[in-house]
Amino acid sequence: MAHSSKARWLGAGMLALASCSAPSDKPGQTAGKTAAGTTTGAKASADYSPYLAGDHTPAADDGSRPYYGDTHLHTSYSTDAGMLGNTLGPEDAYRFAKGEQVTSSTGLPVRLQRPYDFLVVSDHSENLGLAPGITEGNQIVATHPWGKQVYDLVRSGVLANSIKAYDMWVEKLNTLNDPFKGDNRLQSVMWARETAAAEKYNEPGKFTAFIGYEWTSMPDGNNLHRNVIYRDGKAEADQLLPISQFDSTDPERLWDWMAAYEKKTGGRVLAIPHGGNLSNGLMFDDVTLITKKPIDTAYATTRMRWEPLYEATQIKGDAETDPATSPTDEFANFERWNRGSFGPVKKTAEMLRKEPVREALKRGLAYEAKLGVNPFKFGMIGSTDAHTSLTTTQENNFFGKVVPVEPSADPIRFDEVMAGRTAPPGSQMYARESSASGLAGVWAKSNTRADLWDAMKRKEVFSTTGTRLRVRTFAGYDFTPQDVKRSDFAKNAYAHGVPMGGDLKAAPKGKVPVLLVQAQKDPDAANLDRVQIVKGWLDKAGKTHELVYDVAWSGNRKPDANGRLPAVGNTVNIADSSYTNNIGAATLSASWADPAFDPAQKAFYYVRVLEIPTPRWTTYDAKHFGVKLPTDVPASIQERAYTSPIWYTPGKTI
Amino acid sequence: MNIRSMLREPLLHFLLIGAALFLLYGVISPGDAAGRKIVISQAKVDDMVRQYAQLWGGPPKPEQLTAMIETAVRDEILYREGLAQGLERDDPVIKRRIRQKVEVMAEEEGADAAPTDAVLDAHLQNHRDTFLTPAMVSFDQVYFNPQGPDTPASVAAARARLNAGASAAGMGQQSMLPPHVTAADTDLVARDFGSDFAKALVKLPVGQWSGPIGSGVGVHLVRLTALAPPKVPPLADVRAKVVREWENDRRLAAKEASYARARARYDVVIESKP
Repeated sequence: MAHSSKARWLGAGMLALASCSAPSDKPGQTAGKTAAGTTTGAKASADYSPYLAGDHTPAADDGSRPYYGDTHLHTSYSTDAGMLGNTLGPEDAYRFAKGEQVTSSTGLPVRLQRPYDFLVVSDHSENLGLAPGITEGNQIVATHPWGKQVYDLVRSGVLANSIKAYDMWVEKLNTLNDPFKGDNRLQSVMWARETAAAEKYNEPGKFTAFIGYEWTSMPDGNNLHRNVIYRDGKAEADQLLPISQFDSTDPERLWDWMAAYEKKTGGRVLAIPHGGNLSNGLMFDDVTLITKKPIDTAYATTRMRWEPLYEATQIKGDAETDPATSPTDEFANFERWNRGSFGPVKKTAEMLRKEPVREALKRGLAYEAKLGVNPFKFGMIGSTDAHTSLTTTQENNFFGKVVPVEPSADPIRFDEVMAGRTAPPGSQMYARESSASGLAGVWAKSNTRADLWDAMKRKEVFSTTGTRLRVRTFAGYDFTPQDVKRSDFAKNAYAHGVPMGGDLKAAPKGKVPVLLVQAQKDPDAANLDRVQIVKGWLDKAGKTHELVYDVAWSGNRKPDANGRLPAVGNTVNIADSSYTNNIGAATLSASWADPAFDPAQKAFYYVRVLEIPTPRWTTYDAKHFGVKLPTDVPASIQERAYTSPIWYTPGKTI
Repeated sequence: MNIRSMLREPLLHFLLIGAALFLLYGVISPGDAAGRKIVISQAKVDDMVRQYAQLWGGPPKPEQLTAMIETAVRDEILYREGLAQGLERDDPVIKRRIRQKVEVMAEEEGADAAPTDAVLDAHLQNHRDTFLTPAMVSFDQVYFNPQGPDTPASVAAARARLNAGASAAGMGQQSMLPPHVTAADTDLVARDFGSDFAKALVKLPVGQWSGPIGSGVGVHLVRLTALAPPKVPPLADVRAKVVREWENDRRLAAKEASYARARARYDVVIESKP
């Protein structure tokens, strides 16, 4: 791998560093000589104690920084993971996210390049812990009439029997027939273990272990899952068992459950819908799921009460937009999973229209005009949905969606059918199309459950497709181009504008929204290509529109006569699976005033940041294992980030 | 209910011991039909009744009990038939399952013994690196973008001006990294600036402008203003973490010790070609 910067003087700088630090490069000496209290300089102080309360994290001028993590990870406690070979439980998942080396379920040593700041273990609530229950000989399983059947099948040690047991469970799942109906003891024991694991690994200031679970609604194989994230600890979370799709497949009943939880415990929860690529248009449908009535004001209000965020990118594809709905966006066709669902029905153009994020944000504006409330007014995060207990999003360290497709030269790694098994030919999605994605970036002032959760609730979050690039944006009417360069950038921007996820107030006469954007590369990843602002709006006739503006880019590129910015180039050496950072920029910033602002039109703005091209995980695999590079996925990709939108509503005063 | 008590569940022992005896018998007396007797003891039946009542709140009806017994007999017969056909041999799934099972049992040995403070403190002292509070630093930094416009010479000149008392304001280029960092753990500095930067940082002299130091984002002139070296915190400050790590180590050690004892009983021959 070669991604060292080739800037003309960086090498010289590094040499200077080497010579500068050489004299003191003797372990054990430097620290002693310069211990607190013996220092000089204005900032050194006698009362300098490492244990004073406060923020011990490098922070921006307002005390905040982006915290990175995964809100969607499965362990062996998820039945579809544990019964398919995952032997790592929640504790292993937290240890891995904290930066420890772990041995994967297939026996491979694996480690993250840098620790995460937070993790939500979000195991499926449907028969939580059934697989570890079988492994450990749990008598709740072994003595249960149905449990005993799968227990014996799995423990017979015959592979075909294990598969039969799994099929038996899937059949129960699909027919909504809880095999443990009326007996919640397994659920209680396993949920208490999950919450205990989170408590054990939660270290405020260093690492936040959130309590969470995934409610797995899948009517007719269409994916409507939601991850429930708790602000609270075990004491509250244990008071109510998670709802599962056996209780209801209707998101409105999930919201009822969330309300009941908050009422009973005084705690707080929010839900993040699983990316809707496999929902066959149900994720952002025009009608309710069960009654098929047009969505109304109450529906919109309740949905937004509980679901402030959306999973814009994950292993099962990116969901920002699609070539079908954004035909003029040259970057729209990115890691798309737009050919099917888990069910038998072929995806139609009408279904596809109701899946991408950008289209939903646009339709939300139209709904707001009609209902008075926007039902699709959410912020964006990315997460993995890995079922391996290993949250891996780097292209050169990607452990796949499920244990059977962990790294190996076995063709299953590329060729396994991941979705659309029962659908007509052409609807299948293959393992090689899995995206090594994504991460959630959260702007907060400290790394605690409360601070991170509150930032999620106010949508001050962004999604990345796996790298830790950072991006921050604010919108206001009085910003000047100099404001993006201020040393008190964030404080000033909060004082005179709103952050990502926020709402612009009504425009003062003659003023237009100005967006300030700062972006910076991941210190361990590729340079930046460009910063874009995506605008969506609703015209007087009730029609929605979108436009993508390039607002900052690397190098001396000039947009052509049509305003189109030339591509940044591509340094990827496919055979060597490498790239160099001698194109692109380390940082980009912009101050952008909407050139086509109409104060009478509802609108939203969000920022998209693109990195320079880097090798895709399949390219790393081809080199590492000496296998053939698949031809139906790109050899290189441009990793990216999406911020939560900022909305403009005519006449809005608060 | 802990894992160990589940492992002691009679049915499981019955199966494991049964399997062991059967295999042993097979070795001693191949082809003998004496393994064809199946006894469902009264104790076993009582256990079925007890477990049923635990789950459903009352005893099974007679026909339910009969069905349960018949299921147990069927299980046992087919299990033995399978063993007789050697279905368990060289089956990777059963090997892995049983291996997992044995490891879980090994890990659970001694799991109930709560560690004393003396044990925990010894663990803390023996694993100082694990519990070490990272070095804490305060520093100022000026960022220079690798895309220019500065050169090594202009960066060196900037360092000289800073050390002569010039203000850092207006020098270098803007980044999203903070120009001043106060009392930050070096491992958290590494998350933002990269680990090479964090390693170089703690070696700098305090109170003067040094560098340039490279990060993943560019190069930096840095003034370290305070440094508290890594230290081992007292047990009281990190008790929960020590308990967690002690428990984890104990599990792994128990598993390895159990394996070592077992391995000592085998003569392992590996016939791989060079």
